[in-house]
Amino acid sequence: MAYKPSMRRKNEDEEMELDIRPVMNLMVVLIPLLIAGAEWVKLSVIEINVPPAKAADGSGVGDNKNDIKEKQKKLGLTIAISDAGITIGNAGVILSGESGEGPTVGKLEDGKYDYAKLREKLIDLKKKIVGKGFVDENRAVLTASADIEYQTIVTIMDNLQTYTDEESKQVLPLFPEVNFSKVLQ
Amino acid sequence: MAFQPSKSKKNHAKEEGSLNMNSMMDMMTIILLFLLKSFSTEGALVTPSQQLRLPVSDQELKPKKELTVSIAKDVLMVNDAVIMSVSDIEKNQMLIPSLADRLSDYAAQEHELEVDVGKEFTHEVIIEGDEKIPFELLFKVMFTCSKTEFYKMRLLTIRKG
Repeated sequence: MAYKPSMRRKNEDEEMELDIRPVMNLMVVLIPLLIAGAEWVKLSVIEINVPPAKAADGSGVGDNKNDIKEKQKKLGLTIAISDAGITIGNAGVILSGESGEGPTVGKLEDGKYDYAKLREKLIDLKKKIVGKGFVDENRAVLTASADIEYQTIVTIMDNLQTYTDEESKQVLPLFPEVNFSKVLQ
Repeated sequence: MAFQPSKSKKNHAKEEGSLNMNSMMDMMTIILLFLLKSFSTEGALVTPSQQLRLPVSDQELKPKKELTVSIAKDVLMVNDAVIMSVSDIEKNQMLIPSLADRLSDYAAQEHELEVDVGKEFTHEVIIEGDEKIPFELLFKVMFTCSKTEFYKMRLLTIRKG
């Protein structure tokens, strides 16, 4: 014989409420803790690896320490920042600006440096020299007048990092290895 | 004469109010997740101040805790200890002697550690510069760092966005 169904089913289900007080307590503790440990400003760094030798003293582009190096093709790209604008050049030549003299990239009308144009010129240059066998094709030497602000230098370094090739859609290095050279007189 | 108290209202059972916590819990959960995401175990690398505002860049590289040289608008610091006032830096000299002394001390310590306990000397130094400092000063500090064996320099910046 089957069991007789329980007669208790008529009892109303008692409504149970979840006791969330302990969870709330936990939240109250956790949230201040996490606020204290939160990273409010995201920091980043720019790497500059100066060779351990004396390259930092401004001997700059070609530190010809041995004869083997002299046989290599050197580009020696230098970017000079002055009050008038930014000049791109190397030991031999200087890229001239539109007017034929003065800095390669002049300032904008509002007195700011024209980073977009600098970038354009550098990408042009990079496309011309890439794969031609220059040993320092990723290197640029940065120099500036004494009173150029740090922020300007950092922004220019940002613009030196990478570029996107239009045809292959690849992100390629522009001149990410930055060296510093002595203060312009 | 005062009104007679209502007889019908007297029998109404008092309604027990309870706080509805559901929405609050939702909020808390979201805040908790957000804060967990931005949690950093590194601790503060730099104490921002009026005198030391880092420049902005869009580099992605994350900083590690290393020896720091800070160039504020008014003072020069190594690991948050003030070395000298910026105005005392010699105009015509590339090397900053007191900074060089302090850095050589640190380098010597690192060398000792390398020999004693095998902690590798990384030659790394983090340079925290105020966004307004002139290139000349930055270059002098970098020159001094490279002269005192700290030739792997990292320029600390604030990431955009």
